[in-house]
Amino acid sequence: MRYYAALIYFFLYAPIALIVGFSFNSGRYAMDWQGFSLAWYGKAFSNPLIVKALGTSITIAGSTAFLSAIIGTLTALGLERVTGKLRHLFDAFLYIAIMVPGIVIGISTLIAFVTLFNIVNPYLMAAWNWKIEMGVWTVVAAHVLFNIAVVCLLVRARLTGMDRSLVEASEDLYATPFGTFRQVVLPLLTPSILAGFLLAFTFSFEDFIIAFFVAGPNVTLPIYVFSSIRRGVTPEINAVGTVVLLTSLVLLAVAQAILQRSNRTLKTSKTVPQA
Amino acid sequence: MTDSQHSRGVTALLLVPAGVFFFFLLILPMAVVLVFSFGDRADTGGYAPAFTFDNYLNLPARSKAFVNTLTLAPLGTLLTALFAYPMAYFLAVKVSPQWRVTMLVLVMAPFWTSQLLRYYAWIMILGAKGIPNWLSMIGITDVRLINTPWAVLIGAVYGFLPLMVPPIYVSLEKLDKRLLEASADLGATPWKSFLQVTLPLSLPGVATGSMLVFILLMGDYILPQFLGGGKVYFIGNALVDLFLQSRNWPFGAAVSVALVIIMFVTIFFYMRFVLGKSGQRRVALV
Amino acid sequence: MYKDKGIITAKQFVDELRRYQKGSVTRRHFLGVTGLGLATAVLGGAMPGFRPRKAYAGLSGTLNFTTWPNYFAQENFDNFTKNTGVNINVAIFGSNEEMLAKLQAGSTGWDVFVPTNYTISTYKKLDLIEPLDLKKLPNYDPASQDPRFLGPGTIDGVVYAVPKDWGTTGFIVNTKNVTQNPTSWKEFWDLAQGPLTGKVMVHDYQLTTIGGALKALGYSFNSLDEKELGNAEKLMLETKPHLFGINSDYQPSMRNGDAVMSICWTNDAKQLHADMPEMQYVLGKEGGEIWVDHYAIPKGAPNPDAAYAFIDYLLTPEINAKEIKFHGAPSTDARCNKLLPKEILENPILYPAAEALAPLEFGAAESLTNPLRAEIMARFKAA
Repeated sequence: MRYYAALIYFFLYAPIALIVGFSFNSGRYAMDWQGFSLAWYGKAFSNPLIVKALGTSITIAGSTAFLSAIIGTLTALGLERVTGKLRHLFDAFLYIAIMVPGIVIGISTLIAFVTLFNIVNPYLMAAWNWKIEMGVWTVVAAHVLFNIAVVCLLVRARLTGMDRSLVEASEDLYATPFGTFRQVVLPLLTPSILAGFLLAFTFSFEDFIIAFFVAGPNVTLPIYVFSSIRRGVTPEINAVGTVVLLTSLVLLAVAQAILQRSNRTLKTSKTVPQA
Repeated sequence: MTDSQHSRGVTALLLVPAGVFFFFLLILPMAVVLVFSFGDRADTGGYAPAFTFDNYLNLPARSKAFVNTLTLAPLGTLLTALFAYPMAYFLAVKVSPQWRVTMLVLVMAPFWTSQLLRYYAWIMILGAKGIPNWLSMIGITDVRLINTPWAVLIGAVYGFLPLMVPPIYVSLEKLDKRLLEASADLGATPWKSFLQVTLPLSLPGVATGSMLVFILLMGDYILPQFLGGGKVYFIGNALVDLFLQSRNWPFGAAVSVALVIIMFVTIFFYMRFVLGKSGQRRVALV
Repeated sequence: MYKDKGIITAKQFVDELRRYQKGSVTRRHFLGVTGLGLATAVLGGAMPGFRPRKAYAGLSGTLNFTTWPNYFAQENFDNFTKNTGVNINVAIFGSNEEMLAKLQAGSTGWDVFVPTNYTISTYKKLDLIEPLDLKKLPNYDPASQDPRFLGPGTIDGVVYAVPKDWGTTGFIVNTKNVTQNPTSWKEFWDLAQGPLTGKVMVHDYQLTTIGGALKALGYSFNSLDEKELGNAEKLMLETKPHLFGINSDYQPSMRNGDAVMSICWTNDAKQLHADMPEMQYVLGKEGGEIWVDHYAIPKGAPNPDAAYAFIDYLLTPEINAKEIKFHGAPSTDARCNKLLPKEILENPILYPAAEALAPLEFGAAESLTNPLRAEIMARFKAA
């Protein structure tokens, strides 16, 4: 079984090794090794288009993750408090948001917003000399939709598995509902919220198809990579990919470390003396 | 304000943000798509208001795309699940607890390289200078891998393995080992224990992972575009072409509606089947 | 900026001139070092095309420029930003259909884009494009443009787009693997089904792929006749199982040997041939396409002042020459041709012989927008 796992790791990382390896290729075309060079890293990060695309992607992903984490958590908490038809309705929407393929979300958002803007813009122009247009905010909005569902489901799973006696104990000790929330529930939910945040950031950062349709004039990193790939990749792209990978791994290690520490403090504070 | 009014107010506050998003970014756009699907293609492209069933009647013109996607997506999902399960089992059962999370993260890490770049690497690997080249060195010549359905399947497994492993891992890890002990005590062989205890109890995880991968595969455009090179045509390709090449918005809307309906139906029956078998009523994503 | 060198020797002058013509130094350097800069500024008013750009003052913000891949020299863009302070945001597209789709969807935010000849009348019809105020484009001199290429950009006497460069559509052949020496479209499709099975590519673009099929059957590149299109579709569908791929991104596959023949555009042919001399560009005997790319400004451009300055800057013959040298599509401007080195002017890929050009047709607007052609392409891809 160990060999199987090793094989899988090899399978997963061989293409990545290829990407990273060729970022050091001094030749222009991949699969055509011409010697070692760091030149492409320099070129990539002095290429204003790449830097701008990277910045746009980070902005969008960050905003998406932040909004999704907050709204997803709020929704999970809210759904705990409702039953019956309203709950089923929201459940249905959550599942629909996940089930509808990204391409349909991209297309439908494009169509809907364009139609809406065409109706609304003449009035806006006349009144305030300003038009509403597709931009970073439309991508964030479309991404948040899907990620609210992701975060909500993650947090809810944690909520349902949560030990109610802790909440009761807190209330018995005269904590206000908000106090209970802040000091008992929230810390217990943090790992899920954090996981949701990271997942949302990843999905948003990686997304091509939705951004492709609704980004307007903005170029995200995947869009930039797509248009480069279509006419011949230079190792610049490999360099960017490598840096992004390394950065994510570093961020993940940091998140891991933070989580380990918070888990340890949680464990030590979890020991409630028996009354 | 009474307590319950206050409580309802809080609930409303908690649910309104999501509600707003659901309305403006899900319900409204899908409604517009539905309306457009009954319209006409404007002269030079786009939408012209009309009410006609023509677009739906024309769906068979893309039947090959639907067939392709409906064969390769489930197949891809199945293959991914088959490859992912042993990996998840290894991580959940055979790896010591302190290394588990790290190794799990290592499985997911490839996901943090641009998927476009990873597929591009496969174009190189499956292309004339890659595997076919090495195969011809040992005498197996004339192998065409890239731009075939096989390339797409390989790409699917590669691309989605990191997504399939975590849910299966989670449900395997939660497994109460005492159940396996009990099964052994009752005389079952390890293999039988696996089939009758482990597998059914881990099915929710498999179901979750499969659902996620299936959804992503059904709507995928990049994978068939890069690894299929225009010769493997998915619904996703058909949609992109309808909006960016023929600019036939109403027909594109109809195809979108058809896609969504197909997805809901397949997922509904799949969940019924899989969850029915494991005897559980609810799906938790984690 | 201007070096005070006093008197410059004749040899130094010639050296600098050569360096400037080769593109090794910028115009500013050349003018500064030789002292011509000052003289030029003085004479500026009297010499068309060399006027110092007073309009560069007062520009700000960002310019959104939409174009094709590998189609501009970054150095020129950086210079523009340095001179004007305007940042350039570049978006790259794969086909005219995509550009049209995006513009039709609205709110693109583009300031300048690069439409091909057959799209301009459609853009005007859909009111997506601005008539150009030629007073703001002093570097555009219709008299020095090749008259063949002036037609598409002007509709009813109003100029909507100015020519950038031109080129042709033919097919590229890797002569190391292909010994049959095809010279016609008919041979292209025959070889694809026969000896070269599994190694030929066509464009993911209905204009050129359907066009190539139509030419092989002896019809017009722009035919809209249902019967002719039906026959073309039949040919395409017969060939499809034998094709390596349907992809406008053919360079990587040609380079690594997956494909040995593909429908191809001039600038890609030049780039491929430059790196691999066995790559030969063929203009089909029956004909094919000749195209002209333009600069144009879409309606509602957010930064029109920068847009005009930018187009004007790129049309400056020296800057244009640098662009041509980079991307390899030939120039429509005679002033520009005068600045290009002989190797480029005599390159048959960029400047084919007149007989090869004669049977080529300009793409027609309807060919691009015709729904039947679009649907045939979709059926071909889905088959």
